[in-house]
Amino acid sequence: MTYAFAAPLITFFEYSFYRFRRGRLEQVFTLDTYSRFLFDSYYHVVIYDTLRMATIVTLLSLAIGYPLAYALYRINRPAIQRWLALLIFSPILVSVVVRSYGWIVLLSDQGPVNWLLLRFGVLAEPATLVFNLFGVVISLTHVFLPFVVFPIFSSLTRLDPALKEAAEDLGANWWTTFRRVTFPLSLPGVVAGAQIAFTLALGAFVTPAMLGGGRVLVLPLQVYNATTDINWPVAAVGGMALLVISMVAVAAFNRLLKYSEAR
Amino acid sequence: MELDVEFVGVTKSFGDFVAVDNISFSVAKGSFFSLLGPSGCGKSTTLRMTSGFEHPDSGQLRIAGQEMAGVAPYRRPTNMVFQRWALFPHMTAAENVAFGLEVERTPRREMRERVAQALALVGLSEFSHRKPGQLSGGQMQRVALARALVKRPKVLLLDEPLGALDLKLRTQMQLELKRIQREVGTTFIYVTHDQGEAMTMSDHIAVMNKGRIEQIDTPQTIYDRPATRFVAGFIGNANIAPLEIESVAGREAKVRSGGLSFVISDVDGATPGKGHMALRYERIRLGAAAAQAPLRFKADVRDVIFAGSVVQYVLALADGPLELLAEQSHEGGGALLSRGDRVDVGWEPNAPRLFAGG
Repeated sequence: MTYAFAAPLITFFEYSFYRFRRGRLEQVFTLDTYSRFLFDSYYHVVIYDTLRMATIVTLLSLAIGYPLAYALYRINRPAIQRWLALLIFSPILVSVVVRSYGWIVLLSDQGPVNWLLLRFGVLAEPATLVFNLFGVVISLTHVFLPFVVFPIFSSLTRLDPALKEAAEDLGANWWTTFRRVTFPLSLPGVVAGAQIAFTLALGAFVTPAMLGGGRVLVLPLQVYNATTDINWPVAAVGGMALLVISMVAVAAFNRLLKYSEAR
Repeated sequence: MELDVEFVGVTKSFGDFVAVDNISFSVAKGSFFSLLGPSGCGKSTTLRMTSGFEHPDSGQLRIAGQEMAGVAPYRRPTNMVFQRWALFPHMTAAENVAFGLEVERTPRREMRERVAQALALVGLSEFSHRKPGQLSGGQMQRVALARALVKRPKVLLLDEPLGALDLKLRTQMQLELKRIQREVGTTFIYVTHDQGEAMTMSDHIAVMNKGRIEQIDTPQTIYDRPATRFVAGFIGNANIAPLEIESVAGREAKVRSGGLSFVISDVDGATPGKGHMALRYERIRLGAAAAQAPLRFKADVRDVIFAGSVVQYVLALADGPLELLAEQSHEGGGALLSRGDRVDVGWEPNAPRLFAGG
């Protein structure tokens, strides 16, 4: 297990110090690739875009996921609850390629979404909804929703129902009860969901490749492009960067989780 | 007498189960009132209807003279101490207590004063910055009490608040609750299945069974003169034995059990036929003390149970099928009876309570 996990990483790590010149790999120790990665503004933009996309996807997943989780929690008809849970879970059941093509069809200039928007006069001409950041965000949010909804749902179900009654008894209406009691106590679920969505979004490759239309150059795509050029050092450094960013993100979220649980 | 809570013919069902069946009672302002009964008797439902978490199917409920139908829990002049206290785990003791005041937008300074007062009342001033996770059961109980009292409710509702505490702490908290109630003068409605708890604290007790109220009285009257066989069996320790009521004259009845026949006085509404008597363990006299009792019998000691401050004897009466438990206080030194002894047994004619019906 350790071997299978560590060996490729070590090999990759080793490659990151080699030199790539005129289409050939030279086994010479150099820090050139790292310094280019750190100081070249091209890579800054790539990293910034990656983080921005992951952040937008995470926030949107939470914004849609929390109300969904809350609704799932409040429905007290078990049959409906089961169906809703299955519905929320369904994006994971579909292959990423199929799902991406589905979104391309839905969001294209002649697609149903644009047709509806034109039909009801919301827009004068079709909006570009796909082959840009918007399309990528929509599709990623779609598939990450279950990862956000279920942790929040489970932290809501762990709440003692008497707490809500206590708040109400002390004079709080629904909104105050939610704001002061229910929501703060469900934060561990929110943080856990955000952590999963954020790290998955950082590593997302197929969706940005298919729905980004070449305009969304995130780090995993950059790594992939490097490997097709057999530019192993750049791919390796990109991979290392992705690993470091993910680790920092996980550590930060864990800190946040501890903080939210202590409250 | 001013009434703080009035139930008039209130009924509440959950599906086919009638939780509360046409109950009526009223609670005087400033009194300590207990709803006592076994689990599932409807006492908690009654309390939850008072707080507004449940709604009566029929009947009327008034608090401080105001009809409560359609009034939401957060608008009622009641506050509740929950069974497991339901403290907000993410807030400190002081924040928990302040919650109800913040919600009604009490000015900061007044709020700080009232929170400090409430915490002082329950003796928790030094623990105001601790979160529930860092408090003991007894301390959480006090926070819950302070959190409810700080709102200055007309009626404080307590739903078995001592149930989760150990015995020693429970006894201590009973005295504490009574002291606090006297100090603040608020009407307390206290739900419990523990008769000892209800007896020590209450001004009045309503004994409930199967959704109905069996008796409402002072603790002493309920103990001495239980109105029904259920109350006699539920409160204190009593021998409950079936017998035949032969004749009733005024407040005296002649009863028979096998070869035994004797008189019971101070009878309320009995008719000849089948009946039951309830005779408290401690009202039975033994040995020399029995010699002066108006009713005397012979009995064999079947078993001796030594429990420290009291000794219990299982007695089989010589002339009838009755088997009775008698309790003697143990003052130390005196020789106990032993199994197989034959002893004199006696009691006052007004010691047993007589209930008609099979």
